[in-house]
Amino acid sequence: MSKEKTNKDSFEFYYRKLEKILEELEQNIENKSLDDIILNYQEGLKLLKICRDKLSEAELKIEKINMEK
Amino acid sequence: MFENTEDEHPLTVSEITGFIKETLEKTLNDIFVIGEISGFKRAFPSGHSYFTLKDEKSQISCNLWSFRFPYLKFNPEDGKKVLVRGRITVYEPRGSYSIEVASMIEVGIGDFQQAFEKLKLKLKDEGLFDDKYKQTIPEYPEKVAIITSETGAVIEDFKKVAKKRYPLIHLYLFPTLVQGKGSVESVVRAIIKANNCGIDFDIIVIARGGGSIEDLWTFNEEAVARAVFASKIPVISAIGHEVDYTICDFVADLRAPTPSAAAEMLLPDRSELLERLKNYSYSMEINVKNRISSLRDDLDRIKDNYAFNKPRDILNDFKIRLDDFSEELVKFTDDRLKYFANELQYKERLLSGISPEKTLKRGFAYVSRKGKVISKKKELINGDIVEIHFNDGKSEAEILNDNG
Repeated sequence: MSKEKTNKDSFEFYYRKLEKILEELEQNIENKSLDDIILNYQEGLKLLKICRDKLSEAELKIEKINMEK
Repeated sequence: MFENTEDEHPLTVSEITGFIKETLEKTLNDIFVIGEISGFKRAFPSGHSYFTLKDEKSQISCNLWSFRFPYLKFNPEDGKKVLVRGRITVYEPRGSYSIEVASMIEVGIGDFQQAFEKLKLKLKDEGLFDDKYKQTIPEYPEKVAIITSETGAVIEDFKKVAKKRYPLIHLYLFPTLVQGKGSVESVVRAIIKANNCGIDFDIIVIARGGGSIEDLWTFNEEAVARAVFASKIPVISAIGHEVDYTICDFVADLRAPTPSAAAEMLLPDRSELLERLKNYSYSMEINVKNRISSLRDDLDRIKDNYAFNKPRDILNDFKIRLDDFSEELVKFTDDRLKYFANELQYKERLLSGISPEKTLKRGFAYVSRKGKVISKKKELINGDIVEIHFNDGKSEAEILNDNG
């Protein structure tokens, strides 16, 4: 019953996209045109950078809920 | 009351304590006591056991020397009802008394244990523990609600683990009472609030540090169990130590042995993820590179076999496009991703094998117009002035009699 919503700016969102591209380049590369391959590769690099940045730069956010309200 | 003190010889503390010790130890030197074990612990490394024996009204400290432990016919645990045989000893430095246990047998389960078993059975029969109701724990949580005491080690421990493993989360603390009067209501309210406060939490963690069976009792209450079951958000229950099982644990979607373990089970490890990304980057590159060189091999084979039959421009077209891609690959990587420098170097070395210069050296030429490479015949019309690029320079040319 995992919820389908994945925040469009979350680590998971980019990470899943990256996994998909990787899979494409691993299993489907023979059927791809060169243009597609290069597009995939560029997109992959972009996603890699976003994921790395998110992991490296994140700082824990903490908030206290007011139980009186 | 002090009028006649000169007749009475006042006692020192040691004297009265000594008198009490003698009286008690002489008269109560072989007693049988029935009660429920609470706060049982074995000291390390001595192996001596200490616990409290209690009933509804009173309690008494007990100790069991380690050499007697092997003779027990059961595993002493909080909540067990036992018959103890032993003697009263008075410890003078503290003025306290306790039972030195000689032997002990189990005489049935205690009241707490009984209530626990009863509720567990009832909720199990109702299906509250069924696997089919268990919600999936998200792999990469973002918004985490933690229901625990505002003070104390639990929240600090959780924060510490989160900072180290996966600081990408937003942690929302729901300060609650976790033991004693009002704690059941407090926990239930927090669970309901987390479900209704408009923040789309990925997970709720209910946590409490270790304590006696009474301290943890809140999490054996039916109201808490039902609130956990009703939660639309998945719940991790992390109550007490490894050995403590609560009803809340059984209803929750996941049980963690301790609060820190909950953080570890819930949160992915970022150094592991970074390592994985490194592998992804490598494997992506290898795949692309292998594909490009296999395409090149194909072309070379075609060229060798049909060099005189097939129009060369088709081959050239492919060659140039391949080379363009190679350049683009290098350029993009170089511009945007400085920290891939190592991989890049490696790649550049590999890609140099397919640079345009080498192709040109082998006798190919390519055509451009105003600096733009022409890869298709249809891009040209009669009268176009183009440049033909050779290995050693370029020449200008005009397109003539091109009839399509």
